[in-house]
Amino acid sequence: MRRRLPQIVCGLMGILLLILYFSGHPIARSLNLLVLVEYYQIIFAFTLLLGAVSFVKVNLKGIERREDRPYRVVALLALVLMPVLALIWGIKGDSPFMWVFDNIQVPMQSTVFALLAFFVASASFRGFRARSVAAGVLLVSALLALLSRSDLGGFIANHVSPLAEWLRDYPSMSARRAILIGIGLGSLTTSVRVILGIERTWLGGWK
Amino acid sequence: MREIGGLKAIEEAIGRATEMARPLLFTPGWGGDIQRPTTIASMNILSQVAETTARYDCPLIYPTHDPVIMSVAQEVIRESYVRAGYPDRVREDNIMYVSSSQFGYAAAVDGLIARNRPASVFLLGTFEAESLILAETGNSIGAIQIAGTDSTIQLAFFIVACDYTLIGEELFAASGYLSGDQSILSSVRAQDIIKILIAVILVIATIWATIDPNSTWWKYQ
Amino acid sequence: MKPTSRHLCFLGLAVVVVVAMLVDYRPALTPSDDTRGMFDYIDSLPQGSLLLVSFDHEASSLPEVRPLALVFLRHAFARNHRLIGIALLAEGTGVGCGLMNQVAKEYGKEYGRDYVYLGFKPQYVAAILSMGESIRQTFPEDYTGRAWESLPMLEGIRNYGDLAGVISITDGSMVMHWVEYGNGRFGVTIAAFVAAAMVTTYDPYLGSGQMRAMVGGLRGAAEYELLIGRVGSGARSMLAQTSMHLYVLLLIVIGNVVYFRNRRSRGGT
Repeated sequence: MRRRLPQIVCGLMGILLLILYFSGHPIARSLNLLVLVEYYQIIFAFTLLLGAVSFVKVNLKGIERREDRPYRVVALLALVLMPVLALIWGIKGDSPFMWVFDNIQVPMQSTVFALLAFFVASASFRGFRARSVAAGVLLVSALLALLSRSDLGGFIANHVSPLAEWLRDYPSMSARRAILIGIGLGSLTTSVRVILGIERTWLGGWK
Repeated sequence: MREIGGLKAIEEAIGRATEMARPLLFTPGWGGDIQRPTTIASMNILSQVAETTARYDCPLIYPTHDPVIMSVAQEVIRESYVRAGYPDRVREDNIMYVSSSQFGYAAAVDGLIARNRPASVFLLGTFEAESLILAETGNSIGAIQIAGTDSTIQLAFFIVACDYTLIGEELFAASGYLSGDQSILSSVRAQDIIKILIAVILVIATIWATIDPNSTWWKYQ
Repeated sequence: MKPTSRHLCFLGLAVVVVVAMLVDYRPALTPSDDTRGMFDYIDSLPQGSLLLVSFDHEASSLPEVRPLALVFLRHAFARNHRLIGIALLAEGTGVGCGLMNQVAKEYGKEYGRDYVYLGFKPQYVAAILSMGESIRQTFPEDYTGRAWESLPMLEGIRNYGDLAGVISITDGSMVMHWVEYGNGRFGVTIAAFVAAAMVTTYDPYLGSGQMRAMVGGLRGAAEYELLIGRVGSGARSMLAQTSMHLYVLLLIVIGNVVYFRNRRSRGGT
């Protein structure tokens, strides 16, 4: 029953929402709207609560075990501080909440994102080696793409850029479309398997 | 089903982690939630990985950005350990929600990789810009990395930075490949048949459009 | 700690980008077909058209996404289009509101009459689908808590059918959901300003006509700034971007030289 009930609910809701999605009947459309606007949002709110509880539990245990204490304390303080700031002073314009967001969160996130540029450089240095014919083709394509996106004018703009655009519009696009078709079919069959109860791993096991 | 290198290497990756007495890290990426088929596919592989780590008593670290994925993963891992016959080896603290923010998640997972130095890293699920950050960090500590995602752009990063990459629907075929379940294998077969049909229609449409450029039946309207 | 080749790569990149940012030089640009396509699309809409702009990005990509958002908002307000702003990712919420207010002030636009900001809605797929039925039921109030009736611009707006298009400003895969559900289910025109890394991801949708137009990355922002005749941070960043590309190119060449030299010294195996 522990597995059977979620499977039944999953199957019924999957089939119901599939019908509602394609139905133009007014009752189906208003039921669809109810599920999307109300039910989804309520479920989302409870998942946030779940996440917050788990976060607090893991970090408190870490503090108890004296693992990375200062960082865990900062994390827990931030978790408490932001909602308090939001509840007292709101989240608009020049509120303390937005000040913390603009001056602490945005720079921190941008810094981690900026790491990507460094990692692209080191991955390029390591990865683009002409070990084989296929690797050589990849290398040449990468060089063309880089040159075409650089503003060097003249020969680059007149000859290299059109070639790079051709590569982007034809070989790259066709490979991408083929992978997209495969992914689309894979997603479709996985979803059908979940709805029909053939795929049960998400319940905790194959059987 | 033909051999899929990344899936075949799972046992090798877990064995390596056990021999080196280092943990194994498995993460489903930031880009998706539990309803995405990619995340479900990742759970299938997690089940297999967890069963093997249970047998080898290798610590499994599972950070995620979504509390629901965390709950499902806890259930999957617990059941896998029970199936393997080692329910006492489950370490619930290793399955954690880190952050819903993309780079908060990336920074947290990077930190886990840098501090715990896993011998094997599994990057299977929906990834976005954080993919190369995670893959390069795993590469910098010498971990063996098995990756798979549905994003074509992140696949390119994984191919450069990881040892094994599951491309496109190889990730979705994992559940059939690993379990050998006939009903799942049949659906994989059905996918192949549909792909052949699509290819046939593509060829017909190409020839038709070449002969009759004014035709529109094949156009997106 | 002995520096490895990885550390030297990182250091070199940091030096190149910092020096490039300090130099005030703007390379000459020719707008690409994609950028022109977006410009022509926004320009071709009748003045006063209603557009939904969705700030679907995280705070991390602001350096790249902000120039894109600014060029679009400036062009749209210059054409007197009316804008409804929303966010489908939490971090884009405050940013979107701030940017709309900033640009609206530049063009003397009035809140409630020329533009409205409705705020954030979680569960983006549900939000996109529900707006196809009723935007009002999806966002019963605006971001500041004002009722729908108190906003004259929103009078008579029901769903996507009342919009000229949806513009997604994103750093990730949100446009795919707009195309799949917004365009696929409801037929609304989708256009996007995306981070450079996502350009090739959306090329198939642009090629097939499921997306109307797309502008990508800092270069796209710089090209768009040229077209609207207003220089901004997109153009200012182009030298740094070009320098970085050339540096990576150099690294690739050096990497291959080292590889072939080592291969030769090992006896060609």
